[in-house]
Amino acid sequence: MPLNFKVPIFDIKNLSFSVKGQSILSNISLEIFSAEYIAIIGPNGGGKTTLIRMLLGLDKPTSGEVRIFGQKLNEFKKWHKIGYVPQRASHVDSAFPATVLDIVKMGRTSQLGLFSSFSQEDTDLVYDAMAKMDILDLADKMVGTLSGGQRQRVMIARALASKPEILILDEPNTGVDMVSQKSFYALLKKLNKEDEITIVFITHDIGVIADDIARLFTINQKATICNNPKKILSCEEMSELYGIDAHLIHNHKHEH
Amino acid sequence: MIEMLSYDFMQRAFLSGIIIAILASVSGTFVVLRRYSMISETLAHSALVGVAVGLVAGFNPLWMAVVVAILSAWLIEYLRSEFALYSDAVLAILLSGSLALAVIIVSLGGAFNNSLFSYLFGSILSVSTQDVITIAIFGTIALVSLLVFSRQLYFIAYDEEVAKTSGIKVKLLNFLLVSVVAIIIALSIRVVGSLLIGALMVIPTVAALQFRVGFFKTGLISLFFALISVIFGITLSYFFSLPSGATIVLCVLFIFIVSLIYNKK
Repeated sequence: MPLNFKVPIFDIKNLSFSVKGQSILSNISLEIFSAEYIAIIGPNGGGKTTLIRMLLGLDKPTSGEVRIFGQKLNEFKKWHKIGYVPQRASHVDSAFPATVLDIVKMGRTSQLGLFSSFSQEDTDLVYDAMAKMDILDLADKMVGTLSGGQRQRVMIARALASKPEILILDEPNTGVDMVSQKSFYALLKKLNKEDEITIVFITHDIGVIADDIARLFTINQKATICNNPKKILSCEEMSELYGIDAHLIHNHKHEH
Repeated sequence: MIEMLSYDFMQRAFLSGIIIAILASVSGTFVVLRRYSMISETLAHSALVGVAVGLVAGFNPLWMAVVVAILSAWLIEYLRSEFALYSDAVLAILLSGSLALAVIIVSLGGAFNNSLFSYLFGSILSVSTQDVITIAIFGTIALVSLLVFSRQLYFIAYDEEVAKTSGIKVKLLNFLLVSVVAIIIALSIRVVGSLLIGALMVIPTVAALQFRVGFFKTGLISLFFALISVIFGITLSYFFSLPSGATIVLCVLFIFIVSLIYNKK
């Protein structure tokens, strides 16, 4: 499938967001195209999550506009094309009565018609998504009993079950061990390369996935777009973005 | 046992009790998972205002209870979304405010008598055939609305924001849920009483949650507990001349305690 550069999945123009007069994001303009793999980095409080929440219509921009598949957010109807995995994916209320299967089925829920239950196609998509995330053996387990890494896969399987064209992940690996993280990155890469799913990924582990990603957005109130992700990892640019954390990140890169 | 069922009023009691058990436990599953437990208490007291108006003005108290409970549910949702108020504080204010209003209306109208008392604590023996029909009709509508949207409501209860981004109409369904709960509570106060309906709605689900099983099984266990409590409660209240609502609540409380101990790690 050739990249469709005519209509971007997300077209963000002059987006600003402020709370009580304090600017969180100012004048952000970005385009996200089909089958891209984009990482978003930036310091805590720099506005990464806010940006994603505005893309999803969860927060309203103070000014500017987001278009999704060429449509305004409030006119867009095909939300099942967008898979969202929030920051707290690996933390969950352990008392909630949900098996892994219950959770992944949620991914099909928004497309259920009135008075209809899940069809064979729905069920197939649910099991396909679980197979992709390698969690078929967990289907009947209670989600509260899973490890952080397993839960993270469940949440992504739920997003995949709706057959999304784009996956938006907000630091989904907080609290996940290193081994799980590595296989997780491999999975994301596979989803991007083989299934041609666009991936937008907020992370701190830029060193680990620098080879996988196509473009890097750095967000600290303003946005910088970097088309050669490995290049931005120079110390000076990191200093500018993160301030004093720069050396730490720079060293982190050399370990890999 | 057989003799008990030969009385018309006992047949009506069991019939209405069983319908209420189904309604309260199914809606209760969503209420508890949605962290709306206190709403049931507040709406139960708001429904009393409707009863009071009905008693004083000569309308059917049950119908008036349904109307006022729905209005109150909408007011709660409105206050929570439009004003910076703690939602539990909103519920506490409306709960005591409603009760005060109901008492004043009834005493001004000179109807402070056993009628209101029977709505406070439930009086299953006074359930009329007309009441059973009202409960059955509205109950069916409420139950069908819940079941049609059960998957969506379950998703919202688990993660409201992700549900919203997946295209589910969260605001509309929240509105539907509180409205349905309002109807069910208003229908129930004749049987278990407004002071006790919250217990029948919340406790079976909390007891079922102790078994740590999936969504569907939790709903079934909760339904089973509610039915057992109502059937045992009515039977015990018949044989020992106990107030029916309170007996039902003690039965469900007993089941909860046993569930808690049985499932203790």
